[in-house]
Amino acid sequence: MMNSTSCRLLLLLAIPAGLVGCQPPAAPPPAAAPADSPVTKLGSIEVTARLVEVPEGAIFRRELYDYATILKFEVLTTQRGETHASTVYVGQYNPFKPRDQAADRHVPGIGGNARSLAPGRVYRMALESPLDDHFMGGIVNKYFGQDTGPLYWAVWTDAAD
Amino acid sequence: MRNITRTPESSEHSPQFSRDGLRLLYRRMPRGETLDNNHHGTQGALVLANSDGSAPQAFGGEGEYTWASWSPDGKQIACLSIKGISFLDVATRQVVRKLERKGFFQQLTWSPDGRGLCGVANSFGASWSIARMNADTGEATAVNRIDCCTPDWFPDSQNVIFSWRPRGQSVNNGYGWTQLWRADAEGKSRSLVYAEDGRHVYGGHVSPDGKYVLFTGNMQEDGDPGRAGAPMGLMRLADAPILGGDPSRLKAEHPQYRTGPVLALPVGWEPCWTRHEFRSASEPGKEATR
Repeated sequence: MMNSTSCRLLLLLAIPAGLVGCQPPAAPPPAAAPADSPVTKLGSIEVTARLVEVPEGAIFRRELYDYATILKFEVLTTQRGETHASTVYVGQYNPFKPRDQAADRHVPGIGGNARSLAPGRVYRMALESPLDDHFMGGIVNKYFGQDTGPLYWAVWTDAAD
Repeated sequence: MRNITRTPESSEHSPQFSRDGLRLLYRRMPRGETLDNNHHGTQGALVLANSDGSAPQAFGGEGEYTWASWSPDGKQIACLSIKGISFLDVATRQVVRKLERKGFFQQLTWSPDGRGLCGVANSFGASWSIARMNADTGEATAVNRIDCCTPDWFPDSQNVIFSWRPRGQSVNNGYGWTQLWRADAEGKSRSLVYAEDGRHVYGGHVSPDGKYVLFTGNMQEDGDPGRAGAPMGLMRLADAPILGGDPSRLKAEHPQYRTGPVLALPVGWEPCWTRHEFRSASEPGKEATR
């Protein structure tokens, strides 16, 4: 798992490459979702977004306590619905698990083909909001006290880069 | 001990006496189902009975009326679900009023004076915080943050007992053990009640006279709900804080704490009690009840 420090190191390496071409580093084009992916059908919002960072302690492996963690995403493209801002804070359930193994009997219906949640990676997500209307359980929110706007709930998360 | 439900085809759990000691609520589920330490208040169906277990009546179906807690007079229950906190009249089963749940997600408990609710909440910057909600206005405040659970009220409705695993413990390979703590409901002060090097302590429940506390706990952090629980303990709050088990390592960290008397009781899980009388050798003639 990459932490925010690893993310910053990657950014430092990426900036010189962008300067050489006198162009800002471009976002990769959003990958098309497989036609049969539930990401195009579930939730009321569908976005392609880059995971900005994983704060220290936001994702940890702990089987005993199922939890959702709040992660910060930069929205690159909105396929369906509307987000309140270009930066969204999304609850991912049991984030240490591959998305297709995250659901359980208490939180059914979530999934995706993303194997992990890593800073800098791009995901296509089906979302709901507000989170509290869709999940009742432990939440790790390292952004508490910040102006996050409404929290979103990740219903489906596919890798998109 | 005696079995008051006598239903071999079912498992019953999460009992709670009404504050007046007359009624009992618990949840009933098929015997083969395993209790989940984080969801037991939603498992099975709610049953209301007399406090001796007689006249049990299912109150709704599977997964309904979750995390139920008695009103002080036993005429209403407060229930916590993803849709909010509902107050129901027991006789009519009608929802009297509702509140937003404000991040509460487990173990809702209505205060003895009816003016507050406490529970486990995730809306105070850290998951598994203990929080208090004004039962009239819905205003919620944190009592204690991070890695807390199983809160309940003192009979004065001004203080809360709860389990907490403080950070920075060296024991248990640095992970620490969950301990029994108390705090004022405003969250302004807190103090240790009981800690033990060797098991997590849960389910603190204060006697109606405020003099004793009943608890349980074991080496497994989940309280071992899949089996019968762990040995319960009973101690005098006047003796708090107490270090149980082998106190040597905890005492090295907290020299101000001391060992003390704890009555070991049979195994149990999420214990609850109602009125009592303890009879001592110097006071023959008094009869213990319930």
